[in-house]
Amino acid sequence: MAEKIVVDPITRIEGHLRIEAEIENGKIKEAFSSGTMVRGIETIVRDRDPRDVWAFVGRICGVCTSMHSLTSVRAVENAFNITIPKNAELVRNLMECTVYLHDHVVHFYHLHALDWVDVLSSLKADPAAASAAAQKLSNWPNSSKGYFSDIQTRIKKVVESGQLGIFANGYWGHPAYKLTPEQNLIAVAHYLEALEWQRNVVKIHTIFGGKNPHPNYIVGGMPASINLDEANAINSERLAFVKKLLDEAKTFVDQVYIPDLLMIGGVYKNDWGKIGGGVSNYLSYGDFPTEGYNDVDSYKMPRGIILDRDLSKVHPVDANSPEEIKEYIYRSWYKYSAGDKAGLHPYNGETELNYTGPKPPYKNLDFNDKYSWVKTPRWKDLPMEVGPLSRMLVAYAAGAEPQKTLINNTLKALDLPAEALFSTIGRTAARGLETKLVADWALEFYDDLIKNIESDSRMVDHKLWSGEKWPKQAQGVGLSEAPRGALAHFVKIENRRVKNYQMVVPTTWNASPRDEKGNLSAFESALIGTPVHDPKIPLEILRTIHSFDPCLACAVHLYDEKGSYVHRMDTF
Amino acid sequence: MKTLVLGVGNFLLKDEGVGIHAINELEKEIMPPDVSLIDGGTGGLHLLGWLQDYDRIIMIDATLDDNPPGTIRLIHPRYASDFPPLMSAHEIGLRDIIEAMSLMGDLPEILLIVISVANISEVGTDLSPEIQAVLPEIVQLVKNQTASHASFN
Repeated sequence: MAEKIVVDPITRIEGHLRIEAEIENGKIKEAFSSGTMVRGIETIVRDRDPRDVWAFVGRICGVCTSMHSLTSVRAVENAFNITIPKNAELVRNLMECTVYLHDHVVHFYHLHALDWVDVLSSLKADPAAASAAAQKLSNWPNSSKGYFSDIQTRIKKVVESGQLGIFANGYWGHPAYKLTPEQNLIAVAHYLEALEWQRNVVKIHTIFGGKNPHPNYIVGGMPASINLDEANAINSERLAFVKKLLDEAKTFVDQVYIPDLLMIGGVYKNDWGKIGGGVSNYLSYGDFPTEGYNDVDSYKMPRGIILDRDLSKVHPVDANSPEEIKEYIYRSWYKYSAGDKAGLHPYNGETELNYTGPKPPYKNLDFNDKYSWVKTPRWKDLPMEVGPLSRMLVAYAAGAEPQKTLINNTLKALDLPAEALFSTIGRTAARGLETKLVADWALEFYDDLIKNIESDSRMVDHKLWSGEKWPKQAQGVGLSEAPRGALAHFVKIENRRVKNYQMVVPTTWNASPRDEKGNLSAFESALIGTPVHDPKIPLEILRTIHSFDPCLACAVHLYDEKGSYVHRMDTF
Repeated sequence: MKTLVLGVGNFLLKDEGVGIHAINELEKEIMPPDVSLIDGGTGGLHLLGWLQDYDRIIMIDATLDDNPPGTIRLIHPRYASDFPPLMSAHEIGLRDIIEAMSLMGDLPEILLIVISVANISEVGTDLSPEIQAVLPEIVQLVKNQTASHASFN
């Protein structure tokens, strides 16, 4: 007899994600993922000036901050065939690197690490032993016995106050926690350091984007003026500050994040390197252009698709093709004019809400009917995983460097076969490795920017700005790789106004419900077979779902503010 | 005494964005020189960097509770757990930020201005009439609290 468990909400981040799972003989047999809120943000940009859309879509969510704005200006530039100056490409890349560095570090330490790290166990650690272990891991200077002893005192104070704060909702003492008290103390110390570090790195957005959160973009380039000697421009002093922040980021990633990842990965690899793989297809649009957005071969992160875990072939993807990317609503609370079984390419996407689910608060959803506000995107009718793992696998299969060497070296260091990539640990590791690459690339982009501004000060291409030369009708797609995965904005423009706007966002791919044929999407399939020690404290579900870095702010477009909380889980 | 007035919320979700609307209104006013205004949007942890530089922080946000829409409450929280439930729809909430700051041991003096709203699900960039009607009151409240030598009470 299967036992049913419900985890709702599963993330602390925007949007409500609900997981229902059936457990038989200690393992998950069936899993259903449902987005329980809807927004229809797309409707807000209809009939607006396409040059203004970035400012609205940038407000959807504070997690991906500028990624929606970037993708929106790319879509409009694509529609009007606008290319941006080199400086703007580099500044956009630097801002995107900043999003990655901030988002991935915060995800690892503040949204995911406590699935692996037992905070209370760290109180039992011997600070001298923790110090010795930390010094073996890396050269990070904060590693003395006194340092770990101070951290322990701080944690003790928090615990004794009875105000556990962000540590209040963990499953402390769960038998699936395997780190030693010393390893737990090292990780908790770095949790606190990451909290300190993250608040500085985002200042790069303020410098280049004028403000943060929600920095400024412009169709045709970047609204930033660089002049080394001008007090009111991005001058040499501000650029030097950017360089300092990027250097600090690299040091933090190399000396703290990566060693912690290897420490935690080494302990959990034998169990969690074998499960949680999910759908075996991976999609990446690629990103970080170095020779223009239209030159996909120049991207640092390559574009493509891996099917059936076959790393010998990378399949091309064309987001403009009406036959490739389609969104379905067979199990989602929407209505299509062509009926429930139709799939629509996003240019012709429809967002008509049609809630047929139970009246909240409800106990269970009916999975033989519609059960989510998330639509089901498919590539040639196949489910795809998107995110860091997809990007790293596409790069690996394409033979791209430095990705390939870095992955091989990491597998060797952890003594794992390549198949271990297709797992919960593989996904979490891919995110960390990618952060390391991005930290390096950011310094490259910085150097290139400094070189380029010596001879070229252009930041915006104004030729098509006024709109007089725009065609009466145009359509365009903006593609990017947001930290949590492939992001696409599709815009149709008529008489200089937005006629239709559709976004296919990362968590839509990963968190979507089944399709008509019954194929599972990434979250659902990744949970099948996962052992659950105690259904009342389903830590294992959190490990795998959090490894995807879910965010539903933009994936589901009403607030089910009084949803039922069978297990309320705050997972900051 | 450096004071930060921080409006947060999602500007696309009508009344949910009342904190941002309040900042936009305050920007038309003359404020004391040691007072800064920030549109925090849905910034989450991105906001931590701003908060560390101030002695006092006045946060303005929407809340979904059983009070009539437009009810304004002043809260002087001692702990993060004193925060009203469901502080609006933006990612890592204010409560988490406060908890993070308290963990880092640098919690400034905090005053919370919460505005009860009936609905945070509607999409739009304007406020409902009952919330629009209390904007001047929010502005006046902030001005009183930031008038020189005023202390939170």
